[in-house]
Amino acid sequence: MMLSARDWLEKIRALPLTRRVRIMNVCGGHERSITMAGLRGALPQNVELIPGPGCPVCVCPEEDVYLAIQQALHAGVILVAFGDMLRVPVNVPKTEPRSLEQAKASGADIRPISSPQEAVKIARENPGRQVVFFAAGFETTTAPVAAMLLEGIPDNLFLLLSCRLTWPAVAMLLGSGKPGFDALIAPGHVATVMGQEEWTFVTEQHAIPAAVAGFAPVSLLAAIYSVLRQLIEGECFLDNCYPEVVRPGGNATAQAQLMQAMRVVDANWRGIGIIPASGFALATRFERHDARKQFGGYAAAGRKRVGEMPAGCDCARVVLGKIYPNECKLFGTACTPRTPIGPCMVSDEGACRIWRASGVKVSSTKIIH
Amino acid sequence: MQILEIDGYNARCTARGVMREVSLFMLQDEPIALGDFVMVHVGYALQKMSEQEARSTWELLDEMLASDPDLQGA
Ligand code: SF4
Repeated sequence: MMLSARDWLEKIRALPLTRRVRIMNVCGGHERSITMAGLRGALPQNVELIPGPGCPVCVCPEEDVYLAIQQALHAGVILVAFGDMLRVPVNVPKTEPRSLEQAKASGADIRPISSPQEAVKIARENPGRQVVFFAAGFETTTAPVAAMLLEGIPDNLFLLLSCRLTWPAVAMLLGSGKPGFDALIAPGHVATVMGQEEWTFVTEQHAIPAAVAGFAPVSLLAAIYSVLRQLIEGECFLDNCYPEVVRPGGNATAQAQLMQAMRVVDANWRGIGIIPASGFALATRFERHDARKQFGGYAAAGRKRVGEMPAGCDCARVVLGKIYPNECKLFGTACTPRTPIGPCMVSDEGACRIWRASGVKVSSTKIIH
Repeated sequence: MQILEIDGYNARCTARGVMREVSLFMLQDEPIALGDFVMVHVGYALQKMSEQEARSTWELLDEMLASDPDLQGA
């Protein structure tokens, strides 16, 4: 029998829930659906939905964005990146370009793309130029980048990789002793590629209820129902509420391609620090396409406030689900989608931008933990 | 998106009237036919879509429990 979103809501409301439950999601798409569909208002008051680490642009190291800007300005390359990377600010004096968008305005050849195939096309069309593809993303985006590499890329295409795995950030939160959530909605698109099995550590090692969900409210509500019932019945298992595309084992071909083209390395998350085995680097066979090796001399590690969030920006705590976006004192005042201060207000997957775009107006003092 | 044409690893797909070039490189070990639906991200098909609805395992458990008198009250 097919249940509608309304049916799921009714089933959720009928659950004998006696305590406050905090459910974290780790996907910008989930957060957007939850916010746009108004699920927070529709659920019982003691169910809190917390946006967690679901925005790859938000955690992309400031150093990497700076390096990309410098390569575009000084190495004579064409720099291509997914659109929402272009407005992410770095910490430089006001006289220097603070984002790829500003570098473009001052003459650098920077082009937004929406697919890895466009990077290949631009490199083929410009054989006399060097092209750097600045790629940030989670597994769902990284796997297509791997596919692009294996299908064959021209010699003049280089990669500046800032790709991350999703689950290690959740593992870090769970290992910290103060995770700040009681249940997890696991990311459907990541599970589509990597398999839902990646997330069984949440239920099996930490006894935290979890369910995989897609972007539609009906799938999210099914997952919310599942984790609440797991809590109530004291029985934890990883539920799959997105069987439309999430199959046991995920997409094995895509995973094999990822492992051929890349290797998993310790990686820095902006404002958070190094998380072990949480990032991707190019496999040895593709090293000659590594933009860090080719144009790495522009890193300028001694800069002021290197790696930090902009002054006053609380993105790191927003990303980790420690505070809601509107608890940042700059939210909606100094920091808006038109005048973004931190990456969480820049990216379409950033919780600050999603909340603000859906009409959350003022900062509040409501504390999650 | 729905697949309209296939040429090697490349396909032309449509969704809500929008046409896109989509790579099937990540689905090369799957049988793919015209008319199939695929989930697409950044120009790459990640997986074939089936018609299964969003559900929770609890539904299946409840249904099994309801239909099997031996399990009731267990
Ligand atoms: S509202 Fe702006 S300044 Fe505050 S955390 Fe979000 S992005 Fe950073």
